[in-house]
Amino acid sequence: MSQQHESVELVGDETVRHFTTAVLIAALTAALSYVSIPLPGALPPFSLQHFGMFFAGLLLGPLWGGLALSLYLLVGLAGVPVFSNGGAGLGYFLGPTGGFLLGFLVGAVVAGAIVHRRVEPRSLSSVSTAIQVAGLLAAVVAVYVVGVPWMAAVTGLSLGRAGATMAPYFAVDVVKAGVAVAIVRGGSLAGR
Amino acid sequence: MLSYRPGDTVVHRLDPRSKLLVQFGLAVAVVAHSTAPWLVGATLFSLLVLAAARLSPLAVCRSYRIVLAVLAFAPLIAGVALGPPWFRVEPALRSARLVARVVPVLFVSAAYLTTTPVRETRAAVQRLVPGKPGQLLGVGMALVVRLFPVVLGDVREVRDAMLARGGQRRPAWVRARLLAVRSLDRTLARSDRLSAALRARCFAWNPTLPPLSFERRDYPVLAVGIALALSPATALL
Repeated sequence: MSQQHESVELVGDETVRHFTTAVLIAALTAALSYVSIPLPGALPPFSLQHFGMFFAGLLLGPLWGGLALSLYLLVGLAGVPVFSNGGAGLGYFLGPTGGFLLGFLVGAVVAGAIVHRRVEPRSLSSVSTAIQVAGLLAAVVAVYVVGVPWMAAVTGLSLGRAGATMAPYFAVDVVKAGVAVAIVRGGSLAGR
Repeated sequence: MLSYRPGDTVVHRLDPRSKLLVQFGLAVAVVAHSTAPWLVGATLFSLLVLAAARLSPLAVCRSYRIVLAVLAFAPLIAGVALGPPWFRVEPALRSARLVARVVPVLFVSAAYLTTTPVRETRAAVQRLVPGKPGQLLGVGMALVVRLFPVVLGDVREVRDAMLARGGQRRPAWVRARLLAVRSLDRTLARSDRLSAALRARCFAWNPTLPPLSFERRDYPVLAVGIALALSPATALL
């Protein structure tokens, strides 16, 4: 009696570790899009969604951080309501705010590339705070560099008018980067 | 909120790859041809798809109300002028025509969401993207879908614990920092456990894929998708 053996190629331990972190950061990005902090008066609530992008870039570098945000986008495109306001699907993605979703992916890659300066992530304790701050601010800028022209193309607004419409949100997102800087300076991520 | 609903419509029975191709093709077609006849045709086509999926256009509009509100607002912003005549019709109409392109794509995408389980999209992605990247994307999607409610539960628990300790009296940025850090801590602890579990179960690059197969009914749908995706080439003829 003959037996058939098929070889199994195991995934390396480091790859598994980065992969599972990317999966969980993708799930965290989705979860944070559901949670916001109410602000006083008529101000819009303070959404925490950007922190998924910040953490992906800081902890995982450009490749694995990019994978984390790619998984987040793919799951949303497949129909799981993970985008803001419980949105999902290609139609939502191709709508006026879809560029900001794609911008999260670009932002994570940009932040990861600036902070780690190589494909494999390195320990954050070996990266200066200034570089980490530069990475976070570049990520915020990347989100708007992709999102504003996308919005202009979808809605037919001029680039200037689309930029002016989104300017108040940019200011709030810079505050979010400031909060993320406080997290970095507090040392919560240094051991990672 | 639109999500998968089991059913036996013809759209439910189609292969997810052919449905993805139609969505992609329609998006390409409406971006390439934003003339009134194409927009009317694309909207009628999307209404037919909704009918085939037994989905009400009103229910879809309700689910996408925020996107539609932003879309409806855009022509107003485009038309506003900072001097006399204060509102210009031409840019507003141009914006309205461009905004109208999104509606058929939203409708077809809603039909896809309600007729396709996420595991089928995962299988389609894993087959469409070759090699190890496809494997990681496929398994990753399945794990994110499984873990998203768990992580959301963690984040809400952290928020509730913060509120129980009078956290709402703290400044918003302090609350944001605490919520983000505590949630991240829990998430990374789960990541460590998942990593150990995957290694213990011999996570391999060559596992068995979920089954997918093209049936006879998929070929006309594929043809429509390809025709729509290639429609911009008609301008060259």
